[in-house]
Amino acid sequence: MAMVDKTQTDLAPSGAAGTGLSTVPRLVPAMLAGMLLLASVLLPAFMFETVREQPMPGLGPGAWPGAILFALAAFSALWLLLEIRALARSERTSSLEAPAEEETYRYGKALGGIGLVIAFGWLLPVIGFALATGLFLLVWCLYGGQRHPLVLTLVPTIGTVALLWMFMGLALMPLSRGVGVFERFSVWLLTFIGIY
Amino acid sequence: MQTINLLLAGFQSAFELAAFITVVVGLLVGVIAGALPGISFVNAMAMALPFTYAMGATQAMLFLGGIYVGGVFGGSISAIMINVPGTPASLPSTWDGYAMTRKGQVKRALTIAVTASATGGLVSALMLTFLSAPFASFAMRFSQPEFFAATVLGLVSVIAIAKDKPIITLISLLIGMAIGTVGVDPLYGQARFSFGIPEVESGIRFVVVMIGLFAIGEVVDLVASNRDLRPKKTDGKPERVRLRDILAVKGAILRGTGIGCMIGVIPGAGATPGAVIAYGVEKQINPRGAEFGTGVEAGLAAPEAAKNATTGAAMVPLLTLGIPGSAATAIMLAAMMLQGVNPGPLLFIMDPSMVYTIFAAMIIANVLMIGAGFGVAQMFSTLMRTPPAILAAFIVVLSLIGAYGVRNNIFDVYVCLVFGVLGWAMKRVGFPSAPLVLGVILGPLAERYFLTAVANSRQDYSVFFTRPISATILFIAFVFVLWSLWPTLKSRIGRQPA
Repeated sequence: MAMVDKTQTDLAPSGAAGTGLSTVPRLVPAMLAGMLLLASVLLPAFMFETVREQPMPGLGPGAWPGAILFALAAFSALWLLLEIRALARSERTSSLEAPAEEETYRYGKALGGIGLVIAFGWLLPVIGFALATGLFLLVWCLYGGQRHPLVLTLVPTIGTVALLWMFMGLALMPLSRGVGVFERFSVWLLTFIGIY
Repeated sequence: MQTINLLLAGFQSAFELAAFITVVVGLLVGVIAGALPGISFVNAMAMALPFTYAMGATQAMLFLGGIYVGGVFGGSISAIMINVPGTPASLPSTWDGYAMTRKGQVKRALTIAVTASATGGLVSALMLTFLSAPFASFAMRFSQPEFFAATVLGLVSVIAIAKDKPIITLISLLIGMAIGTVGVDPLYGQARFSFGIPEVESGIRFVVVMIGLFAIGEVVDLVASNRDLRPKKTDGKPERVRLRDILAVKGAILRGTGIGCMIGVIPGAGATPGAVIAYGVEKQINPRGAEFGTGVEAGLAAPEAAKNATTGAAMVPLLTLGIPGSAATAIMLAAMMLQGVNPGPLLFIMDPSMVYTIFAAMIIANVLMIGAGFGVAQMFSTLMRTPPAILAAFIVVLSLIGAYGVRNNIFDVYVCLVFGVLGWAMKRVGFPSAPLVLGVILGPLAERYFLTAVANSRQDYSVFFTRPISATILFIAFVFVLWSLWPTLKSRIGRQPA
């Protein structure tokens, strides 16, 4: 979703056209290809939990995933070879290209954002949808640079109530109410706003 | 005559107040979601999926169909106004659309875009109406080998999306197909790759993978890259567009519509390659092709028409064969299956009223889109002033609700988060995620069709090549791969030293 610079795209449609791209660190594609190769070689050993005692008729349940992993291993090996050849010749490999905004991209901020999203998902079944959502909306707004008290009050409050009404009130989705004291709070809140 | 009568009955059902409102609301949701960078209409459809639980089957399809039609166009609003494509398929619209905006012709650009999109969508909706029935009777001749061949055609078409990186595209597709094998297999009932986790035995749902890959990475990028989404000021006066201005680009609209219909009907192709190919073809054919990129109306009209022409066309394989032609139609398939409706040839016999109501709604949605497009374009600049932090927070919450709603299971939320992190990492290193999603969608279908075809033919693998339709589709898939790869192969051969 980067701004499209016509000089970057040269109006030549391709898979990456329009995004304005830069090459990722040179070892990343080779490492990725190696990891994929390793995974596709190792995974067939973990396909089934229990050892089958009797052979099954026909191709069996392992044939299709086995074939997919074999193909994945073959293409990963090919990719790895191409990357190693490019590295050996000191060529500028262009198999993977990061977005052009790479230089101004704040990885710390991104990782913090990912942490917040994961924390929200983890908290959902513990403290319930209502509390987790309100808390997440508040923290994310703060994290995104919002400081106005009115915004920090209204967005989480109205947002949570609106979402509760949409999904638990209208769509009748059994969203988590949390456990223990949080469940009691969720039930009270849902009764208070008229959903229960 | 029977088709006309069924269509009229469909219009009657679609014009019932509840159904009509559903289409209009879906259309508005689609246009707004498509216009907002960070929320693709596919995400909007995935987020809307929980709402369809409370609807009947027909109403659910009308709602999702409205979002689909509106969303495919909506992406062009931000592409034209602020040079940020709202959806991948809107990318070609930035090349000439934004150039027109810079010249102060934003209203002209939006008028041409919405007219071309509506025309493309309308023609493809009519094609869906009048050609679906013969296609369905033809589809009755399809059996497991043909379904497998059609699925293979859908799988190989991803090479066209990233034809300059065939190996990485194939690897991404294969990863998706491998993820699709997780859970109980379709023939023997044996759980695979469950690692002793009971929830994994029921498999990984493609909707959850899609939400994680597309939405979460986008949201994280929104806060980490300090994007300024506010509309840019234009210095020119808005221009009134007359009928003769539209007629001047009728050739581009018709060519784009034709290409969109052809590409859209291929399972797996979708709007993005349709729009990009239409732009490329128009650039070659149009007398002003050399000026493309400087704000030429035809350069905007062709991809716009193609993009929306894929909407009706993509519904043909969905409704007649049960094969989703794109991520959007895959969600529609999911909605139908949740409602206990199995799309395919029998649907036309078992429930023609529902089928023709959907057709009528697609036609109505494309006509209404003209009004909705202008309305949303007007308010778009106001919406874009919403602080990215607030926008991003709601996208995250809606995404996780969407993942939870697939099975009302918190495990799917965790899976969504895993794919969210994966999607973000893939985006940062430029690893394509679209083929992976397609692999998760089509891989299990391909496996089921392959295994049942082989089992039905008593382990005779030649069944795929001895049946004429299956052999023809596989041949088309082979030719399609060669055709897609030819420019890359040609350039590489050309680079070899003499």
